[in-house]
Amino acid sequence: MAPVHGNVNPKQRQYEAMVRALSADLYRFAFWLSRSETVAQDLVQETFLRAWKNLDALRDAEAAKPWLFTILRREHARLYERKHFDTVEIDDSVPEDAAFASPERSGDAAQVRDAMLKLPDKYREPLAMQVLGGMSCDEIAAATDQQPGAIMTQLFRARQRLKRLLGGKAALEGGRP
Amino acid sequence: MNCLDFRRRIGAEPRSTDPDLLAHRDSCREGCAGFWQRAQRFEDDLEAAMAVPVPDGLADRILLAQATGERRHQVRRRRSWMAIAASLLIVLAGAGMFWRQADLNSLPALAVAHMPEEMDSLTMTRPMTDAQVEAGFAGRSATLKGPAPNGVTYVRDCMVGPYPAVHAVTRMDDEPVVALYVPGKMGERDASFRRDGWDGRELALREGTLVVMAQGASRHTMDAVARAWRAAIEGPAPQAVGRI
Repeated sequence: MAPVHGNVNPKQRQYEAMVRALSADLYRFAFWLSRSETVAQDLVQETFLRAWKNLDALRDAEAAKPWLFTILRREHARLYERKHFDTVEIDDSVPEDAAFASPERSGDAAQVRDAMLKLPDKYREPLAMQVLGGMSCDEIAAATDQQPGAIMTQLFRARQRLKRLLGGKAALEGGRP
Repeated sequence: MNCLDFRRRIGAEPRSTDPDLLAHRDSCREGCAGFWQRAQRFEDDLEAAMAVPVPDGLADRILLAQATGERRHQVRRRRSWMAIAASLLIVLAGAGMFWRQADLNSLPALAVAHMPEEMDSLTMTRPMTDAQVEAGFAGRSATLKGPAPNGVTYVRDCMVGPYPAVHAVTRMDDEPVVALYVPGKMGERDASFRRDGWDGRELALREGTLVVMAQGASRHTMDAVARAWRAAIEGPAPQAVGRI
């Protein structure tokens, strides 16, 4: 459906464009943070509502994605502060089946997803920010209050861990043979 | 850059386009180009796997929530403004009523309101004697400290609103001018007024307030009568000592 621009102020137009352009990536990031479809949807809603209230702070369209990712991370942290979820080691957790209910769930993608869900938070979060958000080490470091070197190490270890989880010598070397 | 650095960097940032990395990839004979290619394929797989399906209508639901919240906010804001406007109106109405009440109880208003029952006094033309004038003031325990003005045709003690007053009429240039002296009612400063067809002056004297008013009298006449009554009540003004 084509957006209606008549009588819509520039702020509203900017917001709508941002939602349509970035909500999918933001949802995926939320999903990999929370490992729950429902929580991911709530997080995205909250993030965009907060973004609407602070939209004037966004000066550069290029910065929209990292900005939203940062808001979502904070919302996620708040959610956990509020709900006091039990923290369970990832290896013992069970992801929602619904997330993989699509016909795509077969072969390599499903295996990589399973492996992703088993990654510890400290690896999965920067990896999702890099892969889904297209954020550089410096940007992730700034968003997470860490040193770029530490982020680089986490990203390296995240991929190593993934490859180990996926098994096989070829995977250890960097992917499919 | 050596192969170990290259592979560490590619392991952390496979999509990096750093020229140093790309230069090493293109020049290395130790298999770094193959490592880079495998890393790219793994990254393709990773990106595909992380692109979990997005719920249908997510963007629309987000926009709906935002629009609904915004509408609610607008309604709340409008109600707040209406409440503020209503409060302001009440304050203004209260202030208006207070002002009106204060105005109705002002000496000029009371003086004008007193006149309909004394209209006959304006028609008298026979001058009174000084003794008669002084006797009229004596009724209010007031004494004249100066000579009574010429052409006084009426003097009587009466009530102006709640205030005991001396009501006098002076005829000057064939125009009746009313003088109401309210002993004990201290004013702060002289003021002019115009209401209900009456032009008047409210003059603050040492021991009371004098209201001089007339319908259609000239400014000259009003000034002369006001001066004459002030001199009669307070005594002649002291002679100014001029500089040589």
